[in-house]
Amino acid sequence: MARVDVLMPQMGESIAEGTLSKWLKKLGDDVKRDEPLFEISTDKVDAEIPAPSAGTLVEIKVQEGQTVPVQTLVAVLETEQGAAASPPPPAAGPPAPKAEPAPAAKPPTAAPVRAAAATALLPRPSSPVPPKGDGAETAEERLRRRSTPLVRKIASEHQLDISQISGTGFAGRVTKQDILGFIEQAPAAAPAATGPRAPLPGGGAVVHPAADPWPGDRVEPWSKIRRITADHMILSRRVSAHVASFFEIDYSRVALLRARFKAGYAERGVNLTYLAFIVKACAANMRKHPIVNAAVSGESTIHRRDVNIGIAVALDWGLIVPVVKHADELSLLGIARAINDLGERARTKKLSPDDIQRGTFTITNPGGFGPYAGIPIINQPQVAILGVGTIEKRPKVVTQDGTDAIAIRTMGMLTMSYDHRVVDGADADKFLADVKATLQDFPEQEM
Amino acid sequence: MGEVTFLEALRQGLSEEMERDDRVFMLGEDIGAYGGAFKVTDGFQQKFGAARVIDTPISEAAIVGAAAGAAHMGMRPVAEMQFIDFISCAYDMLTNYVATARYRAGLATPIVVRGPCGGYVRGGPFHSQNPEAAFFHTPGLKIVYPATARDAKGLIKASIRDEDPVIYLEHKWLYRRIKETLPEGEEILTPLGQARLAREGKDLSVITYGATVWKALEAADQVEKEDGLAIEVLDLRTLLPLDDAAIMASVKKTNKALIVHEDTRTGGLAGEITARINEQAFEWLDAPIMRVTAHDVPLPYAPTLEDFVLPQTEDIVKAARWLAEY
Amino acid sequence: MPPHSVPDTRADSSAIPAELERPQLLEMYRYLRVTRVLEERLVALYRQSKVIGGLFRSLGQEGESVASAYALERGRHRDILSPLIRNLGSMLVMGARPIEILRQYMAKAESPTGGRELNVHFNDLEKGYLGQISHLGDMVPVMAGITLTFKLRGEARVGLVYVGDGATSTGAFHEGLNFAAVQRCPLVVIGEYNHWAYTTPPEKQYAVKDLADKAKGYGIHAVTVDGNDVLAVYTATRYAVERARRGKGVHFIEVKTYRRKGHAEHDDQSYQPKDEIERWAAENDPVDRYVKQLVANGWAEESELAEIDRAAKEEIDQATDACVNEPLPQPETALPGVYAHPPAAERLWYRGL
Repeated sequence: MARVDVLMPQMGESIAEGTLSKWLKKLGDDVKRDEPLFEISTDKVDAEIPAPSAGTLVEIKVQEGQTVPVQTLVAVLETEQGAAASPPPPAAGPPAPKAEPAPAAKPPTAAPVRAAAATALLPRPSSPVPPKGDGAETAEERLRRRSTPLVRKIASEHQLDISQISGTGFAGRVTKQDILGFIEQAPAAAPAATGPRAPLPGGGAVVHPAADPWPGDRVEPWSKIRRITADHMILSRRVSAHVASFFEIDYSRVALLRARFKAGYAERGVNLTYLAFIVKACAANMRKHPIVNAAVSGESTIHRRDVNIGIAVALDWGLIVPVVKHADELSLLGIARAINDLGERARTKKLSPDDIQRGTFTITNPGGFGPYAGIPIINQPQVAILGVGTIEKRPKVVTQDGTDAIAIRTMGMLTMSYDHRVVDGADADKFLADVKATLQDFPEQEM
Repeated sequence: MGEVTFLEALRQGLSEEMERDDRVFMLGEDIGAYGGAFKVTDGFQQKFGAARVIDTPISEAAIVGAAAGAAHMGMRPVAEMQFIDFISCAYDMLTNYVATARYRAGLATPIVVRGPCGGYVRGGPFHSQNPEAAFFHTPGLKIVYPATARDAKGLIKASIRDEDPVIYLEHKWLYRRIKETLPEGEEILTPLGQARLAREGKDLSVITYGATVWKALEAADQVEKEDGLAIEVLDLRTLLPLDDAAIMASVKKTNKALIVHEDTRTGGLAGEITARINEQAFEWLDAPIMRVTAHDVPLPYAPTLEDFVLPQTEDIVKAARWLAEY
Repeated sequence: MPPHSVPDTRADSSAIPAELERPQLLEMYRYLRVTRVLEERLVALYRQSKVIGGLFRSLGQEGESVASAYALERGRHRDILSPLIRNLGSMLVMGARPIEILRQYMAKAESPTGGRELNVHFNDLEKGYLGQISHLGDMVPVMAGITLTFKLRGEARVGLVYVGDGATSTGAFHEGLNFAAVQRCPLVVIGEYNHWAYTTPPEKQYAVKDLADKAKGYGIHAVTVDGNDVLAVYTATRYAVERARRGKGVHFIEVKTYRRKGHAEHDDQSYQPKDEIERWAAENDPVDRYVKQLVANGWAEESELAEIDRAAKEEIDQATDACVNEPLPQPETALPGVYAHPPAAERLWYRGL
């Protein structure tokens, strides 16, 4: 009999803590080696953590919902084999403080400052548990996240998150030149991560007022993702001057094309949705109206080079926004495939940190059970978000040969919330008008 | 003195030491009357006499053993292996007797065992060897391997003066192929244990010795012209003891290391150097440490086979490019 | 090419020694002539840069090489010899073909070693020759092992190994000979006293006068013979071989001869007195002496010998023409055969880039 320690893994170079979101096994259960044991959630991704060896779960040290520093002892397995290689629980790391708003001048890290300082310059043995839930990380993936000793050293000295920096080396890894170039170029304002993550200026920490539960009520503490989302929503409304424009779209032509080409796309493994057409139309018109693809930083506007369209996905456990990168360079097929893939991976918790970063514009589509129209909240630090209203058949006045008649058309509303600090009404409306035109006269050659 | 070849510089060094110090004498096959198979000791017997330039039987073990005995008695013998490939016949004397003499018995054994090594000459398996790895793991021995004419002279003089036994490897392909003008009026001594920066650069450290120093320099020229890469070439010169400080200084500067040697891959010195860089400069590495070596086969004779087995300039170019892109 | 078979029409010929017959005398002559012609061809090729690496002639030593080998039982799985650089003649006697030697010297892909080893360093254990490595003396312990096996298996086979005077100074020679002697291996050692170990004369090589004196120190039977007298060498070797075959252990035959060329073709022989070389050439060439002996005793006609000369030249010409333009080995053939398993060494990583 031997006892095997199970630790909170480190899911990324700059991660200092993790929340145990769900136990998949209970005390006394037998587990096989590599069988999923529990789920964690971090600032980056959620993941299933596999058992380091076969055995029986004999001790649970961390409860669901608890957030602990990486390498904390989470559970103990009892195994038949002789002493497996289980590292002793390390000296307690610094307690992870809540995310504090960083002053504008500093590049943000996902981990708080103190935990970053704990990342020593001396080499540290890597975690015995594979960082990805399925334990199938390739060398290339590892290189992308961790790069080389030299780059990690530089990143640590400057408190940078390697995965924030674009890499030009082998397998997309960040090279010495990449990180040094990044440090040189990074202005006082930081390229803040997109997604409901980074703490933001503009009002101090978000405090959610308390309310009293009554008998019979069930109090459910927020999951990490829920808390991050809640904070972000408040901050976003504080920071941006939200204004909304509503456009009514006649999707009849799109419906026609969709009906005609759906089977052909399905043969190629792609589900062709209205959303794909909408994304394509937005991407196609973004270059003509770059202001809706921008970001605000302090008192500057960042004009983004790339068009990366995030698609908000509502999951059982919260909201996540995976990003279709370089959407303006993809065909309709490519976009549809990307949406399918990202959605699938979001649902199965297989998104990588890279999938949810660097969005420049967001589209939120509640789908069939959604409202006629909504007013979405902008995804900081972007300046616009497009909400897609329900698409259904409605009566519409059409004019043929000078005569007005009522026809049945497939219709839906598009609502764009935008930040009036930098996007004027005319900018927003011109963009939407072009999007509408593209959708209503969708070119067949784009199929 | 003008321009001298590697061989002439070696000869000068030997001659100067013979003149300077009566205790220095030489022994080997065909070195006296004939002046040596490669003419390294041409004219020595006439100049220094047959007692100091001894033609021996074909007996490498006896040559080394006798040198050791003479060294115990205060002499400074320089023993030649006609081809360094035959040093294997003296392996027992060198590793069991000579290397351990000071440690176990307080017996100083300042001998130099020298001989022509290396390939690229279509000499086949027994006239092309690089034996340094066989002796590298033997505490008590020193090993030097000059790449330039200047160091051929400087290292033989320093080796003869060294208090410990030194194996001096002279690459036969370099003998007549490289020339250098040596400065006049100064004594040329190359300290043991000190590497030499053959070429400065910032993108990659090529750590090497012997004939491959020249191939590395060729490769460096090529990639500078064609790719704009600035490669640093470190000529180790002394293999045992290694100049860790110079190796680490270079790697810490360029953050990428490529070790090149003519010896085989498995068990060659590149493995040891890699381990040391890993221990002393891990945090400075922006790429894995790679090596360019001979293939793990006995060295074949036919030109096409030898060229395939041994490392060539083109191999260094390819490896450098791969590392640059990493 | 099969040996000549000439009917004996001279009823009054002097008795041929050592139980040899006329066709055998002519056969030996043929081997001598082929050796010499082949080496001359190799010199030409060397000067034409077609031979790669060094060229080592046996000029002046063909007699002892051919005659000693001729005394062995030849054929498949019979006696085995291990030649040195200057025993090309012995290899031809055991069945090596001129084209194989040409290919070896020219590093051709089709050479017996696939271009991996040079000059006569190749072998055919079935035909009965085991080529050397450059480390002198090493073949003696190896042949001790081979002949030990003959003994252990009860086979009536004999081994023969050549050593030069220089090689007798090596540790391997001493250990190998001592081991063979104490084991009473059926081994005949031909000690070639050819006056020059590279540039080292015998008085610098050892303190005895004759090599045979050394051999006595091992407790074995030793004789000294005129190495340039073909029939004397044959007779002495035959005697030793037959004794060894009967279980009488190791025999040492010192053959006094002379190395008429340098250590190798690139050696200018400046250390060899010119008159010495000329004297041996003029007065003591083994092939010339043999020819004189054959003719004088009526054992061969000059016309027969001339025909053998012509045929030898033709054989060498044909062999040369057949292989001189053959290709060198393909580079990747350098990798297989280091071990039985795995079958080939790995190609290094950057060769695939």
